[in-house]
Amino acid sequence: MKKNLTIGVAGAGGDGVVAMGSLLQRIAAAEGYFSQMPRYYGAQIRGGGSAVKLGLNADSPSLPGDTLDIIVCFNWQKYFEVKQELHLGPETVVLCESEPPVEISLPKASFHIEFTEKSQQITGKTINKNLVALGLLLDIIGFPPERIKEIVEADTDLHLVKDHWDAVTAGIQLSANLDHRDLILSPPQDKTPKVILHGNASIGQAAIDAGCRAYFGYPITPAAEIMQTMQKELPRVAGVFLQAEDEIASTGLLIGAALTGAKPMTGTSGPGLDLMTEMLGLGVSAEIPMVIVNVQRCGPSTGIPSKSEQSDLNHAIYGGHGDAPRVVIAPHTVESCYRLTIESFNIAEGFQVPVILLSDQWLGQTFTAVASDSLNQTYPIVNREKPAQNETTEYHRYRLTENFISPMANIGDDGLMYRTSGLTHNQDGAPAFDAETHNTLHEKRWRKLLPLCKRNDLVLNLGNDKSKRGIITWGSTAQVIRDAISFLGIENDVKVCVLELIYPLPENVATFIRSVDTLLVVEMNYSGQLFHYLKSQTDLPKHSEVYCRPGGRPFSVKELSEPLRKLAQ
Amino acid sequence: MSEHTTYKTSVKPVWCPGCGGFGLLTALTRQVLPNLGIPSKATFIVSGIGCSSRIPAYINTYGLNSIHGRAIPIAQGAKLTKDNLTVIAIGGDGDFFSIGAGHLPHAVRRNIDITCIMVNNFVYALTKGQISPTTPRLRRGEGSFLSLEHYPPVDPILDIVSYSASTKASFVAQGIATDVDHLSYLLEAGIRHKGFSFISVLSQCATFNAPGMFDQIKKNATYLKEGEPVQMPAGSEEAGWIHDPHDITLALKLAEAPLLEKPHLGIFFQGNELQ
Repeated sequence: MKKNLTIGVAGAGGDGVVAMGSLLQRIAAAEGYFSQMPRYYGAQIRGGGSAVKLGLNADSPSLPGDTLDIIVCFNWQKYFEVKQELHLGPETVVLCESEPPVEISLPKASFHIEFTEKSQQITGKTINKNLVALGLLLDIIGFPPERIKEIVEADTDLHLVKDHWDAVTAGIQLSANLDHRDLILSPPQDKTPKVILHGNASIGQAAIDAGCRAYFGYPITPAAEIMQTMQKELPRVAGVFLQAEDEIASTGLLIGAALTGAKPMTGTSGPGLDLMTEMLGLGVSAEIPMVIVNVQRCGPSTGIPSKSEQSDLNHAIYGGHGDAPRVVIAPHTVESCYRLTIESFNIAEGFQVPVILLSDQWLGQTFTAVASDSLNQTYPIVNREKPAQNETTEYHRYRLTENFISPMANIGDDGLMYRTSGLTHNQDGAPAFDAETHNTLHEKRWRKLLPLCKRNDLVLNLGNDKSKRGIITWGSTAQVIRDAISFLGIENDVKVCVLELIYPLPENVATFIRSVDTLLVVEMNYSGQLFHYLKSQTDLPKHSEVYCRPGGRPFSVKELSEPLRKLAQ
Repeated sequence: MSEHTTYKTSVKPVWCPGCGGFGLLTALTRQVLPNLGIPSKATFIVSGIGCSSRIPAYINTYGLNSIHGRAIPIAQGAKLTKDNLTVIAIGGDGDFFSIGAGHLPHAVRRNIDITCIMVNNFVYALTKGQISPTTPRLRRGEGSFLSLEHYPPVDPILDIVSYSASTKASFVAQGIATDVDHLSYLLEAGIRHKGFSFISVLSQCATFNAPGMFDQIKKNATYLKEGEPVQMPAGSEEAGWIHDPHDITLALKLAEAPLLEKPHLGIFFQGNELQ
């Protein structure tokens, strides 16, 4: 019995690879298994290679393993395009349609199976070969046919399996002739059905729950699913959706909407954030609450649009001219995508400031089965402070208050008309060109954010609190760190700090840094952006190192084991 | 003068004496807003960057002096989230026809009910006299061009009105800052029109226009009246047709007239309104 299984499926576009992976993931989630399923594509839009890697977990969520336990391969030529992601080991059980090319030497337990022929024979079509393979896989991992039938009957999204039950049954029967090691998945620790979604959908759902009723965006990989989610969901809550002509416009639309009292959001990736930067400056200057999601991909410029990287941190923190403080938040799991989206809206509203939520391609697009209660927890919702009733006689939009946050009227409010500007402005929002007003305005915008440094709850601490060896990381990389620590069994030897609120930096991050002798920062970018940012914020221990490299390939447990082992020694 | 005091703020305009901006400000604060009876609280004026874009600070409504070229997206964002607002985007020729030109056709095709006022003074004046996409190429010998420090334009102009008419904006008009009454009439019609309205305001730059250029525009300008013959440029062989602002083909024909030879003032085109 296995607590974790990693299953790969590879083929050409049209082989039904993603559909098959999704069906398997959905059936397993109904049974209570956690899982993650990244997808891999070739460079072409259609006709390239297509692959998924599904990691199933019986106990606690973890990433798919570095090496596959099982692979279904429909096409070895296409497998070459994704072979770095779908690694075969000596123990991998291979189920393939054709003989591999000479470059690939197959492991011992490799079986030649005519999925296509079986599909033709049973259903009269070759197209159901993925369902034949699905049946075979389900049997190998120990799902009894009658239980699969029950699950499929109860879920209309699994109708494909129900409609072609004969193909699935044929696959189940193929299993009898195969002789391989035990690949039965242990019963799940918690049998509650799990919900499948990716970070992008999670962010969209959270935005709706946070009260976002206006979304403006421009299509970009790998953030397009946020826009799709909002396009679908907003009409159901009487919200406004518009696909803008570019990212400058989408962020401009955000500002217009925010001024009327709406809580607006846009989603983009690095190249879009470039264009949004001028509006970001206006948002900071005029103190506009708005949320910008950046699902990071490989850069610079067009880079590798479909692959993950953590290289927009500098831009998120510093991007734009003229000392413009904003808030930067980074989720590290699909669950935290949800929670931190709501937090982003709360901070944007509470502090009248643009918030950048820095997700990444791995988080954004990996289908993940999560506990359903992580998405329907109720979080407190913050709305911007409105002027008091008696303020109408003499309303000053940028009145200096003790906490530097000025009550904000909505356009349309009676008696509170104000003008604002990206120009340096006085308490009424009127242009001002004197150094004193300029300085006061800077102080207002910077100092209002200082209470965020007390948000120590927006830092996740793992490992042994007493340890003198610390790891700081952020984003999806945190998941690999978690799995690598568990793989190495060094939970008691190190402690980990996962940053959620990155800018401004919570105080306990400096406390964490002061409490260790040796510090390792792990991030996916060439130059060590987080490492240099931390250096700018506080003194680092003498033994401080960064493990960083550009994206293009996810971190594996094996890769991160080396620097972690070194740290723990 | 009570309306005047209601709609004008105490902030003093930065404009040069004789600037066309005063004409627009007067039209909006003394006539358009009071005549339409739109409450200040339900009006949002958003501008870009340039001389004319300073105007929100001078009008007692909700206002935003935003960034260069971006008034239109912001205006649409406000209108989409609060439909009962009167939303006016104001900017110059640099704003709407150079840096922000990409936003205009999309506002037109979306036909969101906002009014876009382009104050065309033919020059980048706030930065002291560089050419804009609407700076005309005068013939050699027609006097110094803009200020002496700057080079004359080498590219043909982008004609604002013909552009707007060709993209079939649902309301296209042209006024002149020196005729406040007529300009007010156009602005009122544009704001009242349900759909995207584009109004070009020919405006003199007292500091940087080529000498005599605006006088020539003023001298040649004639008014369009529905049902009456259109005035043709001097020396034109063609007979004027009867003006019909509901005919887009005629609107395009009107817009083809070279601005310096025959500036038409009035409603070029008014399409169907939104329901």
